Amino acid sequence: MSDFSWILQGRCYRLGHNVPHAGGVIPDSLITSREIDPQKLVPRLFEETDPGFHERARPGDIIVAGRKFGMGPKMNGYIAMQALGLGLVCESMPYLAYRAAIGCGLRVLTDCEGVTEACETGDLLEVDFASGRFVNRTRGVELRFPLLPPALQEIVSVGGNVGWLETWWRSQSSAGRSPS
Amino acid sequence: MGMTAVEKVLARTSGRASVRPGEVVHPVPDFIMIHDGLVRAAKRELDALGIDRLASPEKVIMVTDHEVLYGSARAAEFGAINRNAAKSWGVGRFFDVGRGGHGHLFPMESGMLLPGMFYFDNDRHSTNAGAIGAFGFRMGAEISRVLATGTNWVSVPKSVRISLRGKLKPHVYARDIGFYLARLIKAGELDLDLDYRVVEFAGDIDQFGLSERTALCNSPTELGAYGVFFAPSQALLAFAAERAQQSFTPIYADPDAQYEREVAVDIEDLEPQVVRPGGIQTSVDVSEAVGPQIGHAFLGACGSGMYEDFVTAAAFLKGRRVPDHVRLFIAPGTESSTRRMSAEGLLDVFMQAGAILLPAGCGPCNDAVVGPLHDGEVSISTASNSNAGRFGSKKAQLYLGSPATVAASAVAGAIVDPRTAVRESA
Repeated sequence: MSDFSWILQGRCYRLGHNVPHAGGVIPDSLITSREIDPQKLVPRLFEETDPGFHERARPGDIIVAGRKFGMGPKMNGYIAMQALGLGLVCESMPYLAYRAAIGCGLRVLTDCEGVTEACETGDLLEVDFASGRFVNRTRGVELRFPLLPPALQEIVSVGGNVGWLETWWRSQSSAGRSPS
Repeated sequence: MGMTAVEKVLARTSGRASVRPGEVVHPVPDFIMIHDGLVRAAKRELDALGIDRLASPEKVIMVTDHEVLYGSARAAEFGAINRNAAKSWGVGRFFDVGRGGHGHLFPMESGMLLPGMFYFDNDRHSTNAGAIGAFGFRMGAEISRVLATGTNWVSVPKSVRISLRGKLKPHVYARDIGFYLARLIKAGELDLDLDYRVVEFAGDIDQFGLSERTALCNSPTELGAYGVFFAPSQALLAFAAERAQQSFTPIYADPDAQYEREVAVDIEDLEPQVVRPGGIQTSVDVSEAVGPQIGHAFLGACGSGMYEDFVTAAAFLKGRRVPDHVRLFIAPGTESSTRRMSAEGLLDVFMQAGAILLPAGCGPCNDAVVGPLHDGEVSISTASNSNAGRFGSKKAQLYLGSPATVAASAVAGAIVDPRTAVRESA
């Protein structure tokens, strides 16, 4: 991923608190059918709350959410966000939701207290996920949030868990520990 | 500054002097467990990447407990895939159909999982490890990384401490406490958020043996807890030492450990609890739940599948038969429990009562691969939760109770109060 960047610049898409994964992020039917194909997931992202979202979203746009975002250890919605080149900044996420987002290679910051009060939909944002720097260009506000821990940056920078394992296995092989 | 039990075990396995909540560490586990429901996916994922060997096959324990009785040719085919995976990965410790039982029970009973240990598991009910003073961390599908590399990242969880005060009244059991706690937490009467927390039970816990501690590990898991821990009592240390397959060093929280929250709960006046359909937070005192006729009952699963649970249940079944409109399924958690029940005549009590014996494992509690319900049917069981669809039909009504409440209700053909039901010893 030569074009990978920790800094995203784009418009804010603000959501409230307690947005569940099923229905709030992506239709439940895609979760229960275990759909993981980004092409099928992308057109359905936020379908039930904001049809056509995927047509308006641009790479670099940032989803800003309140507390307890994305309840449930489901990854389908994060696959769609990652495929669209979006980032996610939220006040809190249940742990398994956070873990699923990391596993999908999504640039994500959690425990960003008060972030929903620092922006609204349409504001121009710049977020550095590696340092936790959050800038609202529209309002001229700069905030500092907990960064994405380095051990997790390692996973996100190669596209998620599968990319990480692939990279790891290649390094094992080149170190002379190739499979027998 | 002192450490909680989980901080201690993560420090040890991560090669650190200390760790704090929120730190990301890569603990090296004492063993790795994967059950039959996930082997195929993990094998496919690793095969696709060309990863054809595991970091430490000798550490891997494979178990068949989710679908033990193959209910279809497809399930039988998956069983074959699992056996081939064990062979090609070089996994020697493979407890296949009829060879061990429930992966969250037999390792404790057989001295494989010991006080102070830490392991990775694909399944969330690995929280049972806390019953013996150990930790098992759920990795879900990410168990593949553990298999390949020997570890995975873990963010050190925060710990909360729940002190239980008092002694339970007769016919009230540990499972009832778990249901009651769930209700208090959901109602906000106990100010606790269990998402990714480790629950340390404290207070008057010496009254609880392994099966009761196991029951208490079950309900916090349904509320998001990542681990549950009991400091092992002298009795439990003796139990573990008797069967230990290797040496072990128990862990205890430091006296000055930092907890996110510390609460106390009085259990002295607790009534038996019945969980209503829709999740364990819906529990009520049994006196408010008696009445509904049932067509299905189940004793077993990870929270109530130990030998002692069946001793409790048998007292309500001895010399009696479940009515014709009730199907009573029993799944002792482990093969050794079934053998012991047989040797001691306990199994006969269930057989004479008309119960249907299932092989050791999860029973209907895994996607109803056996003993499902139809629309509108009513069940009472010791399953881990009462969420719609857990036993098949989403339109079935699932109630939960302790082994005593379930057994008493199975005989009565309706939900009853175990305190007033006829018992063998009464």
